[in-house]
Amino acid sequence: MPRRRSRRLWRVVGPPVLCAVGLAYAFPLYWLLVTALKGEGELYQATPSLYPLQPTLAAFSSVLVTRGFLGLLRNSVVVCGATVLLVLAIGFAVTYPITRLKVSRRLRVGVLNWALSLRFLPPVAVVVPYFAIVRGLGLYDRRLALVLIYTVLNLPFSIWMLKGFLAEIPLEVEEAAFVDGASRWVAFRRVLLPLAAPGILASGVIIFAFAWSEFLFALILTASPRAQTFPVGVQGLVTQFEIIWNDMAAAGAIALAVPLGLMVVARRYVLAGLTFGVIRGQ
Amino acid sequence: MLLPVLGTVFVVVTYPLLLAVGQSLRATRGGSFVGLRNYASALEDPLLYDALGATGVYAGIVLPAEILAGLGLALLVHRTVHSARVRLAVYILATLPIVIPPVAVGVIARLIYAPGYGVLNHLLRLAGLVQAEIPWLSRRDTAMLAVSSVDIWQWTPFVYLVFFAGLQTVPPESIDAARVDGASGWTLFSRIELPYLRPLLLMVLFFRIADVLRVFDHIFILTGGGPGSTTQLLSIYLYRVAFKFFDTGEAAALAVMVMLGMSLLYAAVTRLLPLERD
Repeated sequence: MPRRRSRRLWRVVGPPVLCAVGLAYAFPLYWLLVTALKGEGELYQATPSLYPLQPTLAAFSSVLVTRGFLGLLRNSVVVCGATVLLVLAIGFAVTYPITRLKVSRRLRVGVLNWALSLRFLPPVAVVVPYFAIVRGLGLYDRRLALVLIYTVLNLPFSIWMLKGFLAEIPLEVEEAAFVDGASRWVAFRRVLLPLAAPGILASGVIIFAFAWSEFLFALILTASPRAQTFPVGVQGLVTQFEIIWNDMAAAGAIALAVPLGLMVVARRYVLAGLTFGVIRGQ
Repeated sequence: MLLPVLGTVFVVVTYPLLLAVGQSLRATRGGSFVGLRNYASALEDPLLYDALGATGVYAGIVLPAEILAGLGLALLVHRTVHSARVRLAVYILATLPIVIPPVAVGVIARLIYAPGYGVLNHLLRLAGLVQAEIPWLSRRDTAMLAVSSVDIWQWTPFVYLVFFAGLQTVPPESIDAARVDGASGWTLFSRIELPYLRPLLLMVLFFRIADVLRVFDHIFILTGGGPGSTTQLLSIYLYRVAFKFFDTGEAAALAVMVMLGMSLLYAAVTRLLPLERD
């Protein structure tokens, strides 16, 4: 029976392969954490130890306080927070009408196609004009420049995500409110918004995570700690002549911890957002 | 409400693209109109073809590896893991790499491949596989592999998630029916499951091709495009033309050509992908 044999094959191959894959993901993260917890003395052993001999948070305080990365962290939080609010506001202004009002099918399809097409535009292709615009507006080395650009970059998939969430709420829910004499604004605020809240939260988290990761524009458009974001600081630790391994690892660990923490909140919706709704969340 | 907002957004997004076209037709210094001269000089630069070649090699390593590994793992979990809780746990774990900042992934890769502290050499020596330290990031043959491995590490889970979700849409009745008919595992996959996965395969391919042209952060951190121009993908090259050689005109010309290339890809996407727009 070929069927039996192939089933048994899966069973034999399965567990070891899954363990190997798990290890391939766990070990690098473990190594990052271990290095971040090492003291300076342990960095220059002939063979680095696979666990911290004397775990210490010295590298974290060195990065955040001595090197002043707390300021970069604040910049990142401010920029990402503002981006989330702006993207959600504009995203709603675009998706509310195309999902709740009577608009022509052509307009709706046009908007969605246009948003999708932007997904295929590599950011590096607009680096040169954005640089010129930001310079022209006097926004070079200002956080506002990053907020505006991140808003543009995150709008396309946000439109698709929000459209997906809004389309799942039946029109009748709002119509019932209209019958009770509610205005469109009241129906939106009291009925639609609470129903869409999980989706909005998820979109917000994902936009935050993506803005948090952004590096190219932050690198080009900032020059000093007053506007630099956390990834730019991390990069500075990596490419310097002599790398201080534990500082670099600590910075990397912080950069990674924030979006991972947020993902726990929004995990169910991530895939729907990333694939423009082709895949529904589980 | 819709039209003013939409109009503004459209202008804000489109203006830079037009500006790029304008910049590509003007001299970098002085700004006089030069026609297509920037395009000519961009196309004459042999480094462009190195960059295209590197991008092709990178895509040639990364795309098949991610698709095969993602598909293989999706089938593996689909066939052998039946507990809903374990499946959910795998789902959650697989979404995590997607949001790790590429800069942080670059840091991790440094800790693994770098000379001196890099753990890979030590592990290999411990296993008795090598004697001398291998400079992974500065050898021509290994640098591209190292850089690609980072991409594969970060994006295979995404491919896995897409295919796994696709496998859940295959009706169990057709599988059972085929089993009763004595179909082998391979026939089940190629005749019943693969047709369900085909649109997803296309989607993954399109999105990942688009992503290969976005790749910047982790290469910038790991090799900066080196050694030589071995890992200088198109995005890194464009960045260098614009911000290291300060040749705005040529960079804009490259950018416009990239945009044209991507609109061709996009045209293919809209024709071949089943996206819900209603």
